[in-house]
Amino acid sequence: MYDDLACSLPESIDRNAILEPLDRVLDPELDESILKLGFVQSVEADEGLLTITLRLPTYWCAPNFSYLMVEDIRRELSGVENVQQVHVRLQDHFAADEIERGVNSGKLFTDAFPGEGNDNLKSLRDLFLRKGYLKRQEGLLRELRNAGLSFAQIAELRIDNVHVDRGSCRVEHATAGKLQLGADDFAQRYLERRRKLGIDSSPRAPLIVDLKGQPVSATKLEQYFVYARTVRVSLDANGSLCGALLDARHREKDAIPDHELNTKSEHVRHG
Amino acid sequence: MVRHNGQDIFVIDGHMHLWDASPENWRNQYGEGWIRCFYDYHTGLSPEEYVWPFEKYCKYGEETLIDDVFLKGHVDMGIFNSTYLHEFFKNGFNTHEQNHVLKEKYPERFILNGSFDPREEEAGLDKFQQMIESYPIQGLKLYTAEWRDGSKGWRLNDPWAYRYLELCEELGIKNLHVHKGPTIYPLSRDAFDVHDVDYAATDFPHLNFIVEHVGLPRLEDFCWIATQEKNVYAGMSVAMAFIHGRPRYFADIIANLLYWLDEDRILFGSDYALWHPRWLIEKFLDFELPEDIEKEYGVALTPQVKRKILGENAARLYGIDIAAQTAILKDDEIGRRLATAT
Repeated sequence: MYDDLACSLPESIDRNAILEPLDRVLDPELDESILKLGFVQSVEADEGLLTITLRLPTYWCAPNFSYLMVEDIRRELSGVENVQQVHVRLQDHFAADEIERGVNSGKLFTDAFPGEGNDNLKSLRDLFLRKGYLKRQEGLLRELRNAGLSFAQIAELRIDNVHVDRGSCRVEHATAGKLQLGADDFAQRYLERRRKLGIDSSPRAPLIVDLKGQPVSATKLEQYFVYARTVRVSLDANGSLCGALLDARHREKDAIPDHELNTKSEHVRHG
Repeated sequence: MVRHNGQDIFVIDGHMHLWDASPENWRNQYGEGWIRCFYDYHTGLSPEEYVWPFEKYCKYGEETLIDDVFLKGHVDMGIFNSTYLHEFFKNGFNTHEQNHVLKEKYPERFILNGSFDPREEEAGLDKFQQMIESYPIQGLKLYTAEWRDGSKGWRLNDPWAYRYLELCEELGIKNLHVHKGPTIYPLSRDAFDVHDVDYAATDFPHLNFIVEHVGLPRLEDFCWIATQEKNVYAGMSVAMAFIHGRPRYFADIIANLLYWLDEDRILFGSDYALWHPRWLIEKFLDFELPEDIEKEYGVALTPQVKRKILGENAARLYGIDIAAQTAILKDDEIGRRLATAT
């Protein structure tokens, strides 16, 4: 798992015991693991002090979102065996000092950035978990449609009609029969988020339910899909912008002769 | 006027600036941070040959604007959406007073938009009225995320904002461009939330609310509101810029707008000098929706729809008769320079 990540850990700390919880930390807007996104530059431990170094795609990443990710790293990693303290470093960010100082001393966002928000990021985190649910659901709905199911047929599916098995995914419908879906990701990711939001995910529960856990009827499902699609496009705005900004950073880097690069830009990840 | 497939198309750039972000004008680190953040957007989304050096980007001046926008950029008329940011820039970023200089020189080429800040309360009402009386203001640019005396933003449905909107109705100012877009450093508070537009648009049905940057990244909220409120429009600035590096994503956005709104409520904008209108317009004219998106959304981006987006919709909002205006523009200074150039 993430073999190319710079990890320097003593024998007493298990690499996977760090990377697994770290993989659960998401960029809330992109709805993707910060490890997969390549935001984590290095993982180091000195005795019981664990230091995670993070580099976000832009120098200007909004402080509330940055704070949220840094806070999540600390939360996910607290309690790992033989780790007494977790310290997060933020590279190349305009508010790195305030964020590092705030999070590492356990301050709430509102205390570290007075006037920037009023409920300690909880509602922000919840909002994006919910938006991400719709985005993941839209991906699954698209897969089901591409496999040939009508909206009416999809509305009849239950969770145990979907079978995920080692990278492949198939769905079984009473009349349409067994159909192969592209990748297993969509179903997996959707169900994972559904459980996280506390929505009933028992085997006989309807496959497609709204954010309140209510099934979406056959007649309403198409409109529901259309709305979820707009949510996905909306979330992708940041992804597209971040991607473009990252590309620009890489172009700048390519234009600079190697010997002039400072140590920070050497950490820029390609790809 | 841009010629495409044998047709002349009248172009109104619905969102442009003549800014001064030179270091001499930075009030503090925020002024610098602001323009550097803009510059990242500029370099991140522009085709390489259109990328400026940072120094030019900070302050480019009148003649560069005329040349870029009108002489080379295919634009017939531009809407100055004045942006003040006095807490970041000593003399402001691009105020209506500054923009008025070009409006006086080329009166037929510009639509000059002013602003109000409801946090100025009673005193601001007089100031606002004076601005309307002293300058040829045709619309407003409202910046709800602007800082002021420790406040990090305001909402269109604040009681004081309603007093100003009432005054707009009284004074005949109908078109309000509201900035609702991606967070720009150092504006990090969620003051770009679009829901206040919903309230104001319902309570002021005779005013038009052009939501600049289509609320990105809150497109679903924007679309939902615009579907219900017929006086809500989509300002395409920033969203346009995806057309070069992220064309598939641009297709997604425009398909959503055509689906939820309609072709009569979408306005082109370059946000110059964030991006150069020339490449935006040329790429837009050549742009075709991918077949799968067209089919899935059931929308079409026809030449007629493009004409509306590029100019006809803005012309309607601002009461411009395109045929009459075309004749006038042929004969102004820029028109004559264009004629001798060809």
